[in-house]
Amino acid sequence: MTTATASGGDRMTAPAAPARPPAVSLRGLSKRYGARAAVESLTIDVPAGVVAGFVGPNGAGKTTTMAMLLGLVTPTAGTGTVLGGPLGDPASYVGRLGALIEGPAFYPGLTGAQNLAVLATAGGHDPARIPGLLELVGLGARADDRFRGYSFGMKQRLGIAAALLGDPKLLILDEPINGLDPAGVHEMRGLIGRLAGGERTVLVSSHVLAELEQVCDWLIVIDGGRLVFQGPAAELLDGAGANLVVAPEHPDDLDRLRGLVAAAGHDSRTSDDHLEVAVKGDDARGLAAALNRAAGTGGIVLAELRLARTSLEDRYLTMMNGADR
Amino acid sequence: MTSMFRAELLKLRRRRVAIAVAVSALAFAAIAAAAVFLSATDAGGLEREATIESLGQAGGATEAFSIGASFAGILVLVLFIANVGGELSQGTFRTLLMRQPRRVGLLAGKMTALLAFAAVVLALAEILTVAASTAIAPSQGVSTASWFGADGLGAAAGDYATAVLGIAAWASLGMALAVFVRSIPIALGIGIVWSGPFEHLLQDAWTAANQWFPGLLLEALAAGGTAEVSSTRALALVALYVTAAVSAAAIVFARRDITA
Repeated sequence: MTTATASGGDRMTAPAAPARPPAVSLRGLSKRYGARAAVESLTIDVPAGVVAGFVGPNGAGKTTTMAMLLGLVTPTAGTGTVLGGPLGDPASYVGRLGALIEGPAFYPGLTGAQNLAVLATAGGHDPARIPGLLELVGLGARADDRFRGYSFGMKQRLGIAAALLGDPKLLILDEPINGLDPAGVHEMRGLIGRLAGGERTVLVSSHVLAELEQVCDWLIVIDGGRLVFQGPAAELLDGAGANLVVAPEHPDDLDRLRGLVAAAGHDSRTSDDHLEVAVKGDDARGLAAALNRAAGTGGIVLAELRLARTSLEDRYLTMMNGADR
Repeated sequence: MTSMFRAELLKLRRRRVAIAVAVSALAFAAIAAAAVFLSATDAGGLEREATIESLGQAGGATEAFSIGASFAGILVLVLFIANVGGELSQGTFRTLLMRQPRRVGLLAGKMTALLAFAAVVLALAEILTVAASTAIAPSQGVSTASWFGADGLGAAAGDYATAVLGIAAWASLGMALAVFVRSIPIALGIGIVWSGPFEHLLQDAWTAANQWFPGLLLEALAAGGTAEVSSTRALALVALYVTAAVSAAAIVFARRDITA
């Protein structure tokens, strides 16, 4: 399934189906706690090899979904596969995935290296990988310090090192950027970028899309436990389009300018001393050139003519506000 | 289970743990030997009070260890509630389950490692208590002539086995309580109140309590049987309680969502 889907019938067509089976495939997955549905009939696919952003506001069901993938929480309904193994049998695939979920939890009295050694032994992984992993996440110099002395960012990075112990094919990271300072966010984004690629699939959640915008090539958006969108990140942005901002030097020319826009076959919205013209894709450059030419011919001097692209975050917020439903 | 057993041992095979265990075992030996030998009289008094005569018999070398270990039950209950409850509430079980998803195997491996470690600690404590007893005995007029023969070694092995069984039972009940309740303070409250004041108050009001309540049965087991409860009955009923508690804990742990 590779159809990018926005709820409410706004369906967008994604590129051709990937050759490899999806790393994660869920069908109608639900989790209810009494009358409350944490996750409701969630059907998603995460193509193998992508960095997939799992986005939704707090309480959307991201962590619960990830916990179900890891076998920590039992679904109320639905089926699925993770790395080809059935969701009901996490032992068949957990050894091939790594995860950091609900924050890093380690033994405070053990050092970073000792904590990883315990986990490597429990999981049957090669402990010889530990020094290299600690270097990779930037904890090489603090490997022998106790976990209780680590900063929050260091704890997060140790959590990622733990997730990488088995050289996983699928990496699941739950809000790894949450709570980090700006430098930590930058560092974590870089780390996620380095971990992605090749055979590895990364599923990373956040309640702030802007945090993932730069590293994700696939997006899954959920809200209230339900799917809002899934598909290539670029497709979500394409769906957002852009605004051509056109401002005459003299505000008196605003009405005449609106007439030129209408003559070009576009609607416009007046905002203060300028017009905003909604455009999509390649229309923008052509329309800008046509308007510039027509304004010059009509004796209107343009003080501003620019394309204001809608950010992924704007598009996401629009979705969350229900405009796309 | 084997991998989790080895992983748990990694946590225990640290210098700080070794030092803490050595100091605790030394303190236990010194206090137990001093308390038993210095309070020993010719006639004896309280139920488990040693006499000069009984200390001079074959089992005298480990009498202090045996009496001391019988008081360690509640401490072991507390330690295991804190350990397992801590894993559940702090999220370290979650971290482990992401590496080793077979839950019953994880719990069994951890408990086996902790009990194996406890058995080693008990062995150390017994050896040190024998050493301390040997040092104190002459000053109290206790003969050590019978201590180190075959009978003495047999008595020492018996006391060690009884202590290990008792500790394993208390540990299993503590683990089960922690799994059921998931909260360290609540589990500690239930465990301490039940096995301490509650059982002993009921013991005064209901004589049959000695024959049925797990804490009182464990006390009878540690004492090698009492007038009301034979050691065989105590052992059988304790085994039944432990089997039921461990089985229920395993089922609950295997099925319950891990949300912490």
